[in-house]
Amino acid sequence: MLFRDAFKTSTRSLTHGKMRSILTMLGIVIGIASVIILMSIGQSAQDIILGQVQSIGSNLIIIIPGAPSNGRFSSPASAQGIVITSLQQRDVDALEREPSVSLAVPEVRGQADAVYGNNNVTVGFTGSTADFFTVSNLAKVSEGQTFTKSDVDSGNHVAVIGPDLAKTLFGPNINPIDKTVHLKGVSFRIIGVLGKGGTGAFGVDIGNLVVIPLSVAQKQLLGITYFNVIVAQANPSYDINFVKSRMTFVLRQDHGITDPNKDDFNIQTQADILSILGSITSILTLFLASIASISLIVGGIGIMNIMLVSVTERTREIGLRKAVGATDKDILQQFLIESVLLTFAGGVIGIALGAGVVGLAYFVLSTFFSIGWVFAFPISSVILGLVVSGVAGIAFGIYPARKAGKKNPIDALRYE
Amino acid sequence: MIEVNDLKKEYLEEETPTKALRGVTFSIDKGEFVSIMGPSGSGKSTLLHILSFLDRPTGGSYKFQGKSIDDMTDKELAHVRNKDMGFVFQSFNLLSRLTVYDNVEIPLIYSDIPPKKRSTLVEEAVRSVGLEEKLYTEAGKLSGGQKQRVAIARALVTDPNVIFADEPTGNLDSQSGLQVMEILESLHHKGRTVVLVTHETQTAEFANRIIKIKDGMVESDKLITANHLRSGNLK
Repeated sequence: MLFRDAFKTSTRSLTHGKMRSILTMLGIVIGIASVIILMSIGQSAQDIILGQVQSIGSNLIIIIPGAPSNGRFSSPASAQGIVITSLQQRDVDALEREPSVSLAVPEVRGQADAVYGNNNVTVGFTGSTADFFTVSNLAKVSEGQTFTKSDVDSGNHVAVIGPDLAKTLFGPNINPIDKTVHLKGVSFRIIGVLGKGGTGAFGVDIGNLVVIPLSVAQKQLLGITYFNVIVAQANPSYDINFVKSRMTFVLRQDHGITDPNKDDFNIQTQADILSILGSITSILTLFLASIASISLIVGGIGIMNIMLVSVTERTREIGLRKAVGATDKDILQQFLIESVLLTFAGGVIGIALGAGVVGLAYFVLSTFFSIGWVFAFPISSVILGLVVSGVAGIAFGIYPARKAGKKNPIDALRYE
Repeated sequence: MIEVNDLKKEYLEEETPTKALRGVTFSIDKGEFVSIMGPSGSGKSTLLHILSFLDRPTGGSYKFQGKSIDDMTDKELAHVRNKDMGFVFQSFNLLSRLTVYDNVEIPLIYSDIPPKKRSTLVEEAVRSVGLEEKLYTEAGKLSGGQKQRVAIARALVTDPNVIFADEPTGNLDSQSGLQVMEILESLHHKGRTVVLVTHETQTAEFANRIIKIKDGMVESDKLITANHLRSGNLK
């Protein structure tokens, strides 16, 4: 039997019972649409997170205190609240002497209540040098100015604040420039407001951030001499991985480390961070798709059930076809094609439905709720949807098809 | 063409062995028109099923065109059924939602005949039973007699050597039954072997030989030389 004939016979059988075919497909349609929607959500989340990392700045290398974590997804010691004092000013000086490093910007971070008049907001603050505003793409002022090297050296009490904090503390009618806010009882004159709000990389709330000179933050707010992080900008003439290895060499030398396994710092390029985050979000996407695939299995069982009913109903037809020369394989092929056609058509409709829902959700979120959601419709989900629906057709259709193929022609012809 | 020797068929009915055929022996030559007659439960349908390769015997031997059924796989049996045998059933066994054309084409899709040649063969077969104007009518909308003629066209379409007909007039009125028997008779005259199973004497008398089966054995095997009686019987 030619495949063409088997295909024609199968399509004819399916179109004769249109309503049944549509209802049978519904399970697969919903299953595939769920997979598509959840994969799209996962991909959107991934795009947003990775976009945030990329938006910090280009050619950035981040140095975190503490030994590199052993596990791929375990967080560094410093992130677990363990105080590590290994990053010092001498490291910044050493890195700045390295020709492959353009800038080395130390940062300290803390949390405090920002107070203006009767307004009180808990915010995160960052103490850094004037170069903070050079390396970070997110930290660009829209009003006023940034603080200078001389402000940092002199320990001037000046601050640049995020736009959301400016709105919360001062409202829409008061210009925050030259106003004074208090952090932990220390007063700061606001000299600039950052342009962009929202959440930056690593969950830093840029909109509510307060950036103050490093020296003031270290001595007067935190009482420390070490840094929480050093952000370095690679010299664009050098390969980023080369710069990373040079920085590792410089810091090991500076810290007197001879055994590479005993590093007390952790250097990560943006590519490293992107890779880790990419892996995490990929797992998230896979997890979501796995949940959705449960509905696909339910849909597949529905297909199997209907195909079994169909085989029983068409027993005499099977008997006739066998009597006039169909082999077991011919009958199996016909029913298997029917089942694959059902699931495949269900898959195509499911993909279209999923795309429609994702597009509609994006439109509603961005138009009516002003949520910066990323429209992601990964081609991999389309391919996966098509492959899975085809495989489901075979997996759930093989048993009924084999049952049909094995029917004895005489028994089948006598079936009432 | 057909040679059966001590053919036996035993079924298990609720774990009790039932002997449907108890040793049947005869042969049918090419071009013969043979009626197998017998009362209900005599084993005539079982015999036809074995002769037409729809079932296998449990004892004895059966050679079709010189080849033993025992030496053939199920796939080979299917191939012979398609190429060398045509079937006409009492209940027509047409797919009612398909057209006459599609029903007649069914055996061809399991054959080696290329798709391009099929339409000519289908049209010729349908024309030979006088239903060319119904070619694209749904089979379910035809009368009983027309349905059986479509079934005969389907049996003819692969140009088989032998046609097996199982009570072909059983569900028809006498006029339609006569038409069907006349078609089978004309096929016999054109040189085809026809094996007919019936319990009606007047239908059986269209053949030139009648094998009577009783209790799973051949009761009589007679040639009919003058068949003048039959024209009146069905009319």
